[in-house]
Amino acid sequence: MRLTEFFDRGEFVVTAEVGPPKGFHIEHLVEEANEFLKGRVHAVNVTDNQSSVMRLGSLATCKVLKDNGLNTIFQVTCRDRNRIALQSDILSAALLGIDNLLLLTGDHTTLGDHPQAKPVFDLDSVSLTHAVKRMEEGFDIAGNAIDGEFPKFSKGAVVSPCSDSVDAQLAKMEQKVKAGVEYFQTQGVYEPEKFIKFMDKAKQFGVPVQLGIIIPKNVGMVRYMNANVAGVHVPDDMIEELKADKEKTKAGITGVEISARIIKECKDYCQGVHIMALGWESKIPAILDQAGL
Amino acid sequence: MLITQLKSKETIESLAKGKTFIVNCHGCKEVYFAEHEAEELQKELSETNDITQIVTTDYICHPDNLALQLKKHMDKIKDADTVIVFSCGVGIQTVAKYLDDKRVYSGCDTFPLPGFQGVTPLQVDCAQCGECYLNYTGGICPITSCSKSLVNGQCGGAKDGMCEVDKEMECGWERIYRKLEKLNKLDTLKYEPKVRNYWHPDAEQTDAE
Amino acid sequence: MENYTKFKLKRKEELTPFLEDKDNLFILACNKCFKEFEIGDEPECSNLEQLAKEQGKTVVGSAKIDFLCNETLTSKLLQSIVPEEAEDIFVISCGLGIQTVAEQLENPVYAASDTISVDGQHGMALTTTLCDACGQCYLNLTGGICPIVDCAKSLLNGQCGGAKDGKCEVDKNKDCAWEKIYNKMESLGRLDELLAQQVEVRDYSKINHKFINQYVTSVRESRFEGYYGGVHPSEKKEFSENIDLVSFPEPRTVVIPLSQHAGAPADLIVEVGQTVKVGQKLAEANGFVSSPIHSSVSGTVVAVEPRLHPIQGIKTMAVVIQSDGENSIHESVKPAKDLNDITRDEIIELIREKGIVGMGGAGFPTSVKLKAPQKVHTVLLNGCECEPMLTADHKLMTTYPEEIIFGMKTLIKGSGAEKGVIVIEDNKHDAIEILEAKTADIPNIEVAVVKTKYPQGAEKMLVKRMLGVEIPSGGFPTDVGALVANVSTAKAVSDAMQTGMPLVERIVSVTGERIKNPGNYLVKNGTSVKDIIEHCGGVKGDDTTIKLGGPMMGFEVRDLNVPVIKSTNGVIAVETKVSEAVECIKCGRCVDVCPMELKPLYYTKYAPAENWEGMKEQNVMDCIECGSCSYICSSKIPIVDRIKIGKKAIREGK
Repeated sequence: MRLTEFFDRGEFVVTAEVGPPKGFHIEHLVEEANEFLKGRVHAVNVTDNQSSVMRLGSLATCKVLKDNGLNTIFQVTCRDRNRIALQSDILSAALLGIDNLLLLTGDHTTLGDHPQAKPVFDLDSVSLTHAVKRMEEGFDIAGNAIDGEFPKFSKGAVVSPCSDSVDAQLAKMEQKVKAGVEYFQTQGVYEPEKFIKFMDKAKQFGVPVQLGIIIPKNVGMVRYMNANVAGVHVPDDMIEELKADKEKTKAGITGVEISARIIKECKDYCQGVHIMALGWESKIPAILDQAGL
Repeated sequence: MLITQLKSKETIESLAKGKTFIVNCHGCKEVYFAEHEAEELQKELSETNDITQIVTTDYICHPDNLALQLKKHMDKIKDADTVIVFSCGVGIQTVAKYLDDKRVYSGCDTFPLPGFQGVTPLQVDCAQCGECYLNYTGGICPITSCSKSLVNGQCGGAKDGMCEVDKEMECGWERIYRKLEKLNKLDTLKYEPKVRNYWHPDAEQTDAE
Repeated sequence: MENYTKFKLKRKEELTPFLEDKDNLFILACNKCFKEFEIGDEPECSNLEQLAKEQGKTVVGSAKIDFLCNETLTSKLLQSIVPEEAEDIFVISCGLGIQTVAEQLENPVYAASDTISVDGQHGMALTTTLCDACGQCYLNLTGGICPIVDCAKSLLNGQCGGAKDGKCEVDKNKDCAWEKIYNKMESLGRLDELLAQQVEVRDYSKINHKFINQYVTSVRESRFEGYYGGVHPSEKKEFSENIDLVSFPEPRTVVIPLSQHAGAPADLIVEVGQTVKVGQKLAEANGFVSSPIHSSVSGTVVAVEPRLHPIQGIKTMAVVIQSDGENSIHESVKPAKDLNDITRDEIIELIREKGIVGMGGAGFPTSVKLKAPQKVHTVLLNGCECEPMLTADHKLMTTYPEEIIFGMKTLIKGSGAEKGVIVIEDNKHDAIEILEAKTADIPNIEVAVVKTKYPQGAEKMLVKRMLGVEIPSGGFPTDVGALVANVSTAKAVSDAMQTGMPLVERIVSVTGERIKNPGNYLVKNGTSVKDIIEHCGGVKGDDTTIKLGGPMMGFEVRDLNVPVIKSTNGVIAVETKVSEAVECIKCGRCVDVCPMELKPLYYTKYAPAENWEGMKEQNVMDCIECGSCSYICSSKIPIVDRIKIGKKAIREGK
């Protein structure tokens, strides 16, 4: 089911992300999705060779999850395919009944496990959105007619509300909206006040925004994110809070609490939440419970 | 503009089979050439391999000049089994074409530096894309200053204004944004999504008229 | 000649709507590069002007500029040519030029042209051979045919199968690169290599920002070191730099030209048959800019006749003296007053009397510099010796540091300066160490170490680097308060003060890859170059050129029967360069290296056309003849020769 339909109904849309394995056995992934996500989220994002690390394909994983009764979001990056392959894969998604896309530029090849690879970037997030919109109107990006029924998706994109260059982010967000983006999922948010300020400016575009949550697992992880992950900043007091979570038995509880707290603080300013659990899918139900969702 | 780096010593040693004639090109030395490293390597090579002559000249990418410079060494070249050229790819190909029946090998790998002319590389670069985007970007090239050559804004991967690929490289699109902001021309960014055109059937036709 | 013109005006359909909200345009057009050099306008500039005017736009001005991407020259130019009323700047150039202008100006800068791709990078000759600079040269595997550039798909492991009749599926006019490679390898008997080749996978991470940036930074640093332009020729100092200084054997005959300096030849005051002693004056200075000449030997004047001059290349009047081998010193040779007691005017007179002239090359009388009306604050002693091969000044500095310092003190006093700086290039560690130690306790004399770059030793470059000021066109260092002298000159000044010996001998490096036994010699004025070369074992190889001076600025001599004079710092024997000048392709390298920020390419056109007016307009008289342009010229044009022709014509009032 298309995410836009949930938004249109005024629902607070909950999504969560899963990453396919490096291999083709996904029983474990399906098991976890069934156990922790089914019934709790509106849709599951499936990442596309996340962090430029070669893995099982997003589209095939989406299909398997769909067969297991989960609504999915097919993430598509521009790093590995030129416009021919991208449009072809998007038609394939339509055939397989995938209703939602998340269109991204993608991390650079040099950041992943194949740094020697040729980075493609023939299209980018904006032109890819434009291409999908054109396909929905019956034409490919070169202007050739598409045969039969035209595909139809909910087209999503990402934005970084806590970026150090938030004005440039908003300008890009506007470009994405103009190109046809219908919903946004944000980068991980740890500073609700920044997010709320951002939403104050972003609401002018009239497009729903899902608050991004990356569950903070431990001090090492958040320090790493602070140093290396774009658009993510974990404030010092939150790091202190995590430090208190040293005892192994209680590990993770603080992360769950922080995540739920951020959701509660931001809920009134956005139209949904997107949880990036990075392997901690089992914690998602607890977060949603504590956040009152 | 082209610069070169020496191939590894092992590679060069393995190439120097039989009587070997070496050509060094110093034409672009002012831009960069590993002059002393090459000299050192060739000295060491002379001890283990049969190096019959080392010629150092310049601008071997010019076929006439190449012929002129090699003229007095042609006996030694004819006698050689292998010719190793320390120059950019253009120079090596020119030598390979000129010495058509010789094993001509390259002792270098070639890299690009920004700038077409002269000997001083530039900090700006042009990829000769054929559809200049500078009008939309305040005169900062998105093709060469963005590591992904994006034409519709930043990817979101920059951290503290620095590119995800290299922390010493400023995000090209953030630079563009700031420049347009300074020029009070931020509206310029509100253009229809751009899609690059890699097909330039007329690229090699120049406007001679 | 291939035409790689890299940009063309954007189409009218694109420019017209774009111009709509722009006005008060200023148009900048680049005169293009890597094409046949013709004097004349490119058409695009007026086309754009017309298009703008058709739309009712005001064009406040336009300019056509050479090498727009040369940021140093362009930024200077832009300051003066863009009028204040200009709002929108339109640039017709490749992307490099447009971005260079955009970086310099505060106004919005727009591209009026598109830059067109050639499928790879060309060399410094306009041929069809291209290189994609992939950083992982495959030519060793492919018989010298590039699979990256020549194959439309840049395949590395053989052909795709798309070729028909040997022609590429993408372009029927192009041969399939892999078929060419196959044929070449077959003809070389290397097919087995081709078949045994491992699977090749390209590594796209080799060309990355960090790597390129590192080179750009280091190349730019060395290019902009101290002053604009300059070159780094191979130093080749190793032939003679470790050989100790010795006295050259007493010559039997010396030939002493009366013209060894800038200005009028000296007036003879001896006669044939007269006996002379070492240090005795042979000729008097003739005018303000002139210098006396002294005997370097004791003996008899056997002739006064025209003899071949080592630099002027013609016969000029010279005194020929037969040495008696006694080396009796003339009575005029006696120490001057103590440095504390001698007055400034007395120093200047002494330096003039003792025939001291600039020993770095031009031979300008030192006393004239000291007499300059401008206030001098700094004496710069030039110990750079930036010419490749030469080691004379280097040896002087390590052998006579005390004398150099004494000479410096004398020059400081003689010029009324406050302080002195001895400038040495960083390739002469021992000289730096010695002079730094010896000057450590002298408050107003210091040693400055500078990075090697030719022509560092040219006085204008030296002043710019050390004092950060430019000497105005046609001016002298004294115009900016500096006195520049060579370290050898300082040594000569010291001798004049401490022993009273005039300038009758100097250090000469005898070097070059073609000299059998290189060395550094203290040589008496008038000693024959032929004798020097014979003493050094002669030359190797018949394709040898002898030059007086260094390889960059030295004068080629064909007849070796010429004497060493006051400014002869080297005798070098080098392999004869063969080159054939071809047409200028506007590579711009001469502009990039000219330390005087001139555009030497124009002289290559103007001199043969006898367009002296054009040469004047291009400031040819500012040229210091350092030879950097000839050295770098990718078309092998003897630019300096053409410049000299032009300067001579202009001096003669043509």
